[in-house]
Amino acid sequence: MRRIINSGFVISLFLLSFLFILSCSQEEIGDLKDTLYVRHEGADMPAHIYGNATEKVFLVILHGGPGGDGLTYRAGTIKSKIEKECAVVYFDQRGSGMSQGRYSEDGISVDIMAEDVLALAKVIRHKYGDDSQIFLMGHSWGGTLGTAVMLKDQNAFSGWIEVDGAHDPKGIYFEYPNNFKRVADQQIEANRSISYWEEVKNNISKLDTTTYTDDDFYEMNREAYKAEEQLADDKVVFKVGNGIQSELLVTFFFKNNPLTVGWNGSDTQVILVRDQDIFEKLSYTDRLNEITIPSLILWGKYDMVVPPKFAQDAFDNIGSSSKELVIFENSGHSPMFLEPDLFAQVVIDFINENK
Amino acid sequence: MKKSWFFSLLCLVCSGLCGQNSVDSENEVQDKPNSFMDKTEFRAGYYGNFYWNPGLTFGAEYLWKERVRTKEKKKRTKIITKQWLLNGTIGLSWDPRTELGVFTNYGILWRRTNTKGKQINIQFNPLGYYRSFLPETYEVSGDRVDKVFLPGRNYFAPSISFGLGKLRKGKKLTGRYLNATYMLRTPYNASFLPSIALEYGYRFNIKKKRKHAKDNQ
Repeated sequence: MRRIINSGFVISLFLLSFLFILSCSQEEIGDLKDTLYVRHEGADMPAHIYGNATEKVFLVILHGGPGGDGLTYRAGTIKSKIEKECAVVYFDQRGSGMSQGRYSEDGISVDIMAEDVLALAKVIRHKYGDDSQIFLMGHSWGGTLGTAVMLKDQNAFSGWIEVDGAHDPKGIYFEYPNNFKRVADQQIEANRSISYWEEVKNNISKLDTTTYTDDDFYEMNREAYKAEEQLADDKVVFKVGNGIQSELLVTFFFKNNPLTVGWNGSDTQVILVRDQDIFEKLSYTDRLNEITIPSLILWGKYDMVVPPKFAQDAFDNIGSSSKELVIFENSGHSPMFLEPDLFAQVVIDFINENK
Repeated sequence: MKKSWFFSLLCLVCSGLCGQNSVDSENEVQDKPNSFMDKTEFRAGYYGNFYWNPGLTFGAEYLWKERVRTKEKKKRTKIITKQWLLNGTIGLSWDPRTELGVFTNYGILWRRTNTKGKQINIQFNPLGYYRSFLPETYEVSGDRVDKVFLPGRNYFAPSISFGLGKLRKGKKLTGRYLNATYMLRTPYNASFLPSIALEYGYRFNIKKKRKHAKDNQ
């Protein structure tokens, strides 16, 4: 009998300790860990919200692609540092990631997707309070979408952060050859991977870069990613650290359904690129002066995917009196993963200055 | 569309197999189970895309037609059984962060069993329904934000399965199976969503269980 009582006591003690540890850890985190969906114009889009929301400051990240997914960015210092300062919202755009819904092909456009982001801002304020402050960050294609959001209603946000963003998708095609030639010449002069860069120059010279075609765009886009790998092999840009690589792999395989994400992404990209010709026709450069809220422009010096020329364009043309351009000297297209500490620092400073 | 050729091909295969059955009447032995329960087997198993999308399925298979061909060989008798079964399934799958899916589908199943009990299964389920259940969802219309009650979406979800199995003679669990299932959800976003899942499970027949129990006494 005594043995039963003793073992019951031990089990109770263990359970209580376990519950105590659980409650402590939850209090210690004190952070949001929410997944909510935004239903807008026929689409249900998930927003995964992590981080410190005690000051009701939110950083909404618009993923690249078109057709990427939000949680891909939950790695490195975005997770370990920025989430400690504010709540980060990893949002899957319409037709991307784990978004679902029912609409026609006309139901996907930059205009509707920008309205989706404004709908997300309304949901955040509805759920967490009207006094919530929201910063918007767009990476790559997210820079296109984010700029469209700014031009629609920038007053919904406290600040705009463009990271290697494609605010001028139309211009990328025509800038690719110049950028390849510039970087190739630099690398040949520095005696690095000469045969590779000669071949790149040769390949690009074979393309007709005076008239836009989707095929040539994708050819140069693929070459741009390869060129960044070469630059990383030659130690011109940093490589993604092992820790971040592991986090990215875990996210890819365990945090979303990769089959669904892959299918949705390719479907959406076909509609926006092949059917709606965004890389042939769309440009916001002439309207950047309409953006007057505090803006931060972050770019990798060796970005081959969205060349650094567009960083200067954004800085020169954005109409805000409070704007800053930061070039990451050892980064390509994704400075958040290549120079994560500096990235977190400039983002956190920008948020603290403007919240 | 992409999906249509796939189902057309399957229909063709099914009709071919059907035709083959009607011709193979030589050396035919008809096994005639009596009651509805004799002809019905149930099954339960795992369903999912490995770890990120686990789920369960439960189903019933009603024996519609069966042909057994026997061929005398030098050393042994070869017995090939071909069955057409009516199939119904209910299941669920779970994406840990984003949705719980409940689905049901109905169709026809063709099964070939050889002398050793090894089976080939081909399932075609043209009638399928999938309901996704989403977490906390807010609908935005203009400046109005409303929480959605029972958020989720309804989809037409036909499916096909190919798989292997094993007949377990004299066991309570009468067979096991491993199927690869291709399910479409449509309309999904601007088109449709294909999904591929693995099913692994066991079949059982309530009546046979009693019969075998008696046989073993």
